[in-house]
Amino acid sequence: MGATASHLGKDLLSEYQELTFLTKQEILLAHKRFTELLSREDKNLPDPRAPTEAILTLPELKSNPFRERIVRVFSTSESRDGLTFEDFLDLLSAFSDSATLEIKSHYAFRIFDFDDDGTLDENDLEKLVNCLTGETEETRLTPDEMKQLISNILEESDIDKDGTVNLSEFQHVISRSPDFVSSFKIVL
Amino acid sequence: MSHYSDGSFYNPAYHDSETLELDRRPPFKPRHSNPYAQDPPPPWQAARASAVSTVTGPWANADPWEGGAGGGLRALGALPLGPRPSQHQEPPWQRQPDHSSVHGEGSFHDAAGPSRFPATFSANMTMRLRGMRRMSMFPNGDPSHLSITEGAIRNELEYEEQNLVKELMACSTKERIEGIRKLPMTYHEKKHIRNRVLASKSSKKSRHLSCLADCSERMSLSLRRGASGVAAARQALDLWQGTMKEVGGSFGSSVLSYFLFLKSLLLLNVFSFVINFSFITVPMLAYDHVPHVPPNVTFRGLELLTGAGYFRYTVLYYGAYRADSSTGLLHYNIQLAYFFTIAAYMVLCGAAVLYSMASSFKMNYVLSDPVGGGSWQLLCTWDFSVTNEKAVRQRKNNLRIQLKESMSERSQGTSLTPAEKMRHFGIHLGAWFISTSMAVGCGNAIYYLSQYEQQQATNTEDWSPAREAETLLVPFVVSLINLVVPLFYSLFNKFELYSSQRRQIYALIIRNVILKMSILGILCYFWVNEVAHKFLCWESMVGQALYRLVVFDFFFMMLGSFFGEFLSKVIGTRWIPGLGVPEFDVARNVLDLIYAQTLAWIGIYFSPLLPVLQIFKFLVLFYLKKVSLIQNCQPPRRVGRAAQMKTIFIALLFFPSFVGSLSLLAYTSWSLTPSRFCGPFKGLDSTFSVVVVWMNSLEKVPAAAWAVWVYANVVRSEIFYFLVTIIILFITFVFWQVTQGRKLLILLLRQQIVNEGKDKTFLLDKLQALQKSHPTQPKSKIKKQRRSGGSSTGVRSSSNAMVQTFLSVEQGSRGTYLREPPSPSHLSISFQRTPLPSERQSPSDALGLTLRAGQRAEVHQPWTPPASDPLVQPPWTPPSEDPLVRVMRARDAYEGPPVPLDGGTSSASGVMMQVMEARRRAEGGGGRGGPERIGPGSSSALIQAMLARQQAQNEYDDGY
Repeated sequence: MGATASHLGKDLLSEYQELTFLTKQEILLAHKRFTELLSREDKNLPDPRAPTEAILTLPELKSNPFRERIVRVFSTSESRDGLTFEDFLDLLSAFSDSATLEIKSHYAFRIFDFDDDGTLDENDLEKLVNCLTGETEETRLTPDEMKQLISNILEESDIDKDGTVNLSEFQHVISRSPDFVSSFKIVL
Repeated sequence: MSHYSDGSFYNPAYHDSETLELDRRPPFKPRHSNPYAQDPPPPWQAARASAVSTVTGPWANADPWEGGAGGGLRALGALPLGPRPSQHQEPPWQRQPDHSSVHGEGSFHDAAGPSRFPATFSANMTMRLRGMRRMSMFPNGDPSHLSITEGAIRNELEYEEQNLVKELMACSTKERIEGIRKLPMTYHEKKHIRNRVLASKSSKKSRHLSCLADCSERMSLSLRRGASGVAAARQALDLWQGTMKEVGGSFGSSVLSYFLFLKSLLLLNVFSFVINFSFITVPMLAYDHVPHVPPNVTFRGLELLTGAGYFRYTVLYYGAYRADSSTGLLHYNIQLAYFFTIAAYMVLCGAAVLYSMASSFKMNYVLSDPVGGGSWQLLCTWDFSVTNEKAVRQRKNNLRIQLKESMSERSQGTSLTPAEKMRHFGIHLGAWFISTSMAVGCGNAIYYLSQYEQQQATNTEDWSPAREAETLLVPFVVSLINLVVPLFYSLFNKFELYSSQRRQIYALIIRNVILKMSILGILCYFWVNEVAHKFLCWESMVGQALYRLVVFDFFFMMLGSFFGEFLSKVIGTRWIPGLGVPEFDVARNVLDLIYAQTLAWIGIYFSPLLPVLQIFKFLVLFYLKKVSLIQNCQPPRRVGRAAQMKTIFIALLFFPSFVGSLSLLAYTSWSLTPSRFCGPFKGLDSTFSVVVVWMNSLEKVPAAAWAVWVYANVVRSEIFYFLVTIIILFITFVFWQVTQGRKLLILLLRQQIVNEGKDKTFLLDKLQALQKSHPTQPKSKIKKQRRSGGSSTGVRSSSNAMVQTFLSVEQGSRGTYLREPPSPSHLSISFQRTPLPSERQSPSDALGLTLRAGQRAEVHQPWTPPASDPLVQPPWTPPSEDPLVRVMRARDAYEGPPVPLDGGTSSASGVMMQVMEARRRAEGGGGRGGPERIGPGSSSALIQAMLARQQAQNEYDDGY
């Protein structure tokens, strides 16, 4: 993988273009930004992996309430932290303008699935709401409100009434929420 | 994965339904939509499948506790709820490509022997959990003791991957690329699939290489390269990318949509300028580049404001174009060029606006939830593009407030007393009355003002500066009305109470549109009826009036952002802190843009170079608004619905704005007589007669006979339009009917999902009841933990309970399966480490708990007499016997005699079968009983029932 080189090979570039939703400029920019995140010694490795802390310093992710989840979901390393350039491209591709609703909702689901168990259960939903409303004590919803909110959510989306929201139910909800596609977007 | 299509749980009712947009994808796609797997079932199926499979599992085989069943049971180990010795395994999403893709078919039909793939039946169930499954397959990262199984897995996966590859190979290159791109896999997995597809493609090609295929391949390759080049170029040219990002980053996508709208209007005007300039102005100037200005008229500077005087004789207006100029070196017919350029521009604009309106409507209205305001709507519209720290905090606050509001709205409901209702109704009526009469009043005032101005005006060519300045009165008043009255309208919000904020916005928009349209309507009426008959060169007069309107509109927009944003910020921060920093009012600003664009469209005929002014205006406006936004405004407090608002704005741009200008232009060119003494069409009865003249001249040219024929039989023929209208009406009607049918189908499908849920609930209840009723089962515990509530709540986690059950059995059976005791240490560790659902507030997990406990006991202790309760066994004795044997014995103890091989007669599965049998009969389907893949003996009753159900749905669909 030529990701270490200061510029990407032509073949590699076209491969990236083929497998992601990104355009050439976006890939080149992504590569530039990615190499900036690497430490000096990492750059010489064959398949460098930018550490999570470095990724989180990107202004695009810095204040995102889901930043850790995003990195975790897209990381392919054993320990689930750090991104290779391909992971990084995957991330940008899923968040790009041209990604399909399906891809976007798939990754949104995984980001929201805090315990990685394949469904959004009450704990996931609570974490999700807390992420979105702020984690501190005074910004949090009261337990009663949280309970009601979660039951509202489940009432809306839990079609088969099993107490959790699975991917298909989630995608169903998302497909009826037109703002999702335009807001699930990160542009470098 | 074709085993879906092979029927196990494939439900064509979902899959083939044209109705659900979600499912309308290329056939291979939906299979990859599962969260954690590479080839998940389509969304609907997943819901079903997981619902079904949890139940199905243990009974997938007639003999649940013997070898073959082991596969099924062990598959349950895949479930995330099970013990997850997470550290040692590959993380769920990252299987290497060779394990990655697809699940084999034949889950059910291939041998039931020990080589059976552990997760086989989970095909339908847990593609999404495949990662987890692998986890439990190699719990301590040492799969060596599972070697046989691993081989089987590899085979299965290989097979599935081949299927995927085959499907992809069948596609055209473009589809293939799209298909691979849309797989929710990691990059490496996609690459792997791609390489396989390419490899098998090239190997195939070498076998029968044909020049044609090669050529077409090369062609498509170059086409794709070209397309991506165009896309890249477009992106490089993308205006203001950084600005857009900045705005979106701190104000969110709703404010950003204003700027995008502005940008697209700007591009529209650039396009308009380019074609007008190159097809009308340049040929005109090429012939005659000196304006025919009377000697006493000079450029005074006031023209910039009024558009009159010197400008009147330049190519800015209609009057300066002359048909006789066409006799140059090259014969160029200015008349035709003028007519067709403007016609083409309007047609293209119409198509573009209509297209974007239709697609945005489809995306945002048809699919959106009619109820709206749901909690999900708020949660899933979190703007990931917002990057500004402060903005993020603000958004969180707003979201919290909105969530609270939505909850209180929900709990309150709308319980108004009749008196209150009457009062609200009265207020609405009053507000509407006031606003409408204001609009009408403004229209009237402008009409009289214009008449007054017109009486003053003369046809003389040398106006004094004072006289010229008088013409500014009308545009000034019009723009003032446009600025002040909307502010007044927004005051209504203070005392008008709407049940939802959305309605309030809609009411405001409608009132503003009525106002602007009545003003413009009056002006157009005045131009067409009075100006057209009074002035010698009336088109230029109208053009000047439009020029002034555009200029003044520009000034007032700037004033508007000064007063509306800057001053209210100063007031809000310095003097009356209660007001706070103003929000950027997207609706008002977009309406201003729509108004401006309407002027430009109307003016295109009277003043072909008006777009220049418009481009300048929009450019300045962009930067001005950006600065004003960043300096003065805060992000809107309300989030969500941005997409719908966008649709409304495009619709407004189309309906009153574009359609209105188009009808004015059409009226002008068909019914009004062009000026006799100036302009390209002088001497003609109407602008359109230029086409008539042209056709008459073409009649002499034999090569153009077809054009004449088309003109005579299509353009001028009433029959043609009549037929077209009829056909369009018919098509509309058909589509309307289809839409209605699909709405119904959506309802039915939804109902079906609910029914599936109920099925599951019911079966789980049955199972639990069975377990409860068993003598050795600790009833009290179950009762305590089981929720007393109805099935919907009670069953909440009972699926988890099932899973837990299966899991425990699976854990036990795995070792046996391989005739190899599992290492007890890792099992116990995993149990202790991972919190299980029952430990995480799943009150109804009694069953799971019980069985898990039992399983734990079984794993850790020697075999105990069947009659004893595993729960009370001390769990610390080291295992000395094969887990499966123990499980089976425990089972036997629960359920009486061992289950016969051919039967499904264990009490639980028996009940299950009966239930499903009954259900199937009720459904009236079950003719063929489903695909042949599933041997009748080995498939469970549940599967059959489901198939029957699906069949019924099938028939229903066919009928439909």
